[in-house]
Amino acid sequence: MYELFIAMRHLTSRRRQTIFSVLAIGLAVMILMWSQAMMVGFTEELYAMTVDRMAHVTVEPEEDEDYIHLYRKLTEEIRSIDGVVGVSPVIAGQATFEHKDKNKNVVMQGISVEAHDLVLHITDDIIEGSFRDLDAIPNSVVVGDALAEKLDVEIDDTIDASFPEANPASLKVVGIYDSGTPQDATLAITSMSTAQDFLDVSDVVNSILIRVEDRERAQEVSDRIDALGYPASSWKETNPEIIQTLKLEGTSNNIILGLIILIASFGIVSTLFMVVMEKTREIGMLMAMGVSRRSIMMIFVLQSGILGLLGALLGVTLGAALATYMGSFTYEVGEEAMAGISTIPFVVRLQDAVTIVLFTFLLNLIGGLYPARRASKLDPVEAISSE
Amino acid sequence: MSEEKIIEIRDLTRIYGDGAPIRALDGVNLDIERGEFLAIIGPSGSGKSTLLHQIGILDTPTSGTILLNGVDITKMSDRERSRMRNEELGFIFQYHHLLPDFNALENVMMPLLISGVKPSRARKIAREMLEEVGLADREGHRPNQLSGGQNQRVAIARALANSPDIVIGDEPTGNLDSRASDNIYELLRRLNREHNQTFILVTHDEQMAKKTDRIIRLVDGRVVEDSG
Ligand SMILES: Nc1ncnc2c1ncn2[C@@H]1O[C@H](COP(=O)(O)OP(=O)(O)O)[C@@H](O)[C@H]1O
Ligand SMILES: [Mg+2]
Repeated sequence: MYELFIAMRHLTSRRRQTIFSVLAIGLAVMILMWSQAMMVGFTEELYAMTVDRMAHVTVEPEEDEDYIHLYRKLTEEIRSIDGVVGVSPVIAGQATFEHKDKNKNVVMQGISVEAHDLVLHITDDIIEGSFRDLDAIPNSVVVGDALAEKLDVEIDDTIDASFPEANPASLKVVGIYDSGTPQDATLAITSMSTAQDFLDVSDVVNSILIRVEDRERAQEVSDRIDALGYPASSWKETNPEIIQTLKLEGTSNNIILGLIILIASFGIVSTLFMVVMEKTREIGMLMAMGVSRRSIMMIFVLQSGILGLLGALLGVTLGAALATYMGSFTYEVGEEAMAGISTIPFVVRLQDAVTIVLFTFLLNLIGGLYPARRASKLDPVEAISSE
Repeated sequence: MSEEKIIEIRDLTRIYGDGAPIRALDGVNLDIERGEFLAIIGPSGSGKSTLLHQIGILDTPTSGTILLNGVDITKMSDRERSRMRNEELGFIFQYHHLLPDFNALENVMMPLLISGVKPSRARKIAREMLEEVGLADREGHRPNQLSGGQNQRVAIARALANSPDIVIGDEPTGNLDSRASDNIYELLRRLNREHNQTFILVTHDEQMAKKTDRIIRLVDGRVVEDSG
């Protein structure tokens, strides 16, 4: 590979130009890598705040049925599916809550605390009292903070629940939670049997909520349950707008950053055009020594490829370092503004680094083709006698 | 000496330009034998360089044929032409025709590396060549650290490194003083005897031409004298 030998020597002989080219590419790639780490981090964060706070898969009753009757068996079957980490059967219905002279229509959800916590991590949101008491104390309820405020209730207060066709009940408030969502004003959580008694149904549920280990595999799990005969839908089906938003932002961001690298690569290409002009006579000499036009081309394509590769490696390293460094800080300001995020959630991924390096390398190889072609098309006699 | 023809040129014509065409070569016929040491002379613009470029496969004729070792070089692909230049031809130009980014040794190694010889072996051969031209102690110097005569010696070592059948030089002593010029001539002559390679030198130095075996004189792209 004498072509590589010659290419490397050309690069080391004009050291200043080479360093400058590598730095230019490196800077562009660094910004891309850094911003990609931020994008991925924010995407992760956004998922954590949305998708990971909802059930990844929801199972509904069979067609023409109001309830899932044999839910215990189905729950066991779903639990045994690979990748499922939590399964929670839920009975839900409407109720009117009254306390003193205040009243409010709510959704009453009957759950098993332990199972439900595996799916929605509800115990993390408790601000007063405890979810555990739901199982211990019959006819107890946990309400959202907004609902508690509206009804003017505190822990140990009793709420009167009623609804047409329901069995009126007196529910003791054992906990108040704050999930930060609008549900806090409308959702009341009780034990499964409390809700079933109130709604006057036997031991049935009307949905099963599921959490999977890898949210990207929710659709797979949903399809498996569909195959069992129960209509199931993944978060992607119920919330298509989440993916749409992320996709859109990701694409436009990458286009802008790809353009930055393109511009930096133009720098290398134009430098290479200059080099080809400066080295016209040497190209003629190489041809006289028996270097074919193909190899002449190779010598110059290699140069832009090497510059691109070095710049990309430098940039990816710097970008990853910068992202890691910035991600290690906690930011006091903006805690409210950024929805509770107090560190910038940079996520440096190897796959992004590899993609960016390959992209930059290929871009420079292709860009290098033009000046390299120019070099290979030179007429040897004219090239040798040029000044 | 054997009577083996190494170059056969038939009706070679090279015309430049479209509007007012210049016949740089006008029906040249020439046979050259292996081991010959010959000079091409003639006034400026008579077509000497053009003829040399044709023999060196750096250019293609407008009409006519050139056989090198019996092979018609006017009908070859770029790859074949390149390989032929690398293996069968050695070029010595007037000046500044070393690769400036490479030292003397690397310059001499280059034709060997191009033909695929392993670097270690190429280095060994290149060292021997530099020794033959008397520059063994300058192998690490770059062209700009060597004198004109030294550069020309390196160029000669490079032209001979791949043991070509034919060595061509376009005024190889053109920019040297007469002493250095004589030294280069003596060197070429000695190499010609030792290796039995064919040397074709363009020169305007009649003194030097007289010392060769054969003189070809060109005027207006035609051979007007062939003596030797
Ligand atoms: N590339 C070219 N384009 C047009 N005319 C050329 C070119 N090269 C050489 N010539 C012309 O061809 C003739 C022979 O040139 P050349 O072989 O260089 O002469 P010499 O080497 O004997 O001085 C001259 O008239 C020269 O001007
Ligand atoms: Mg000339």
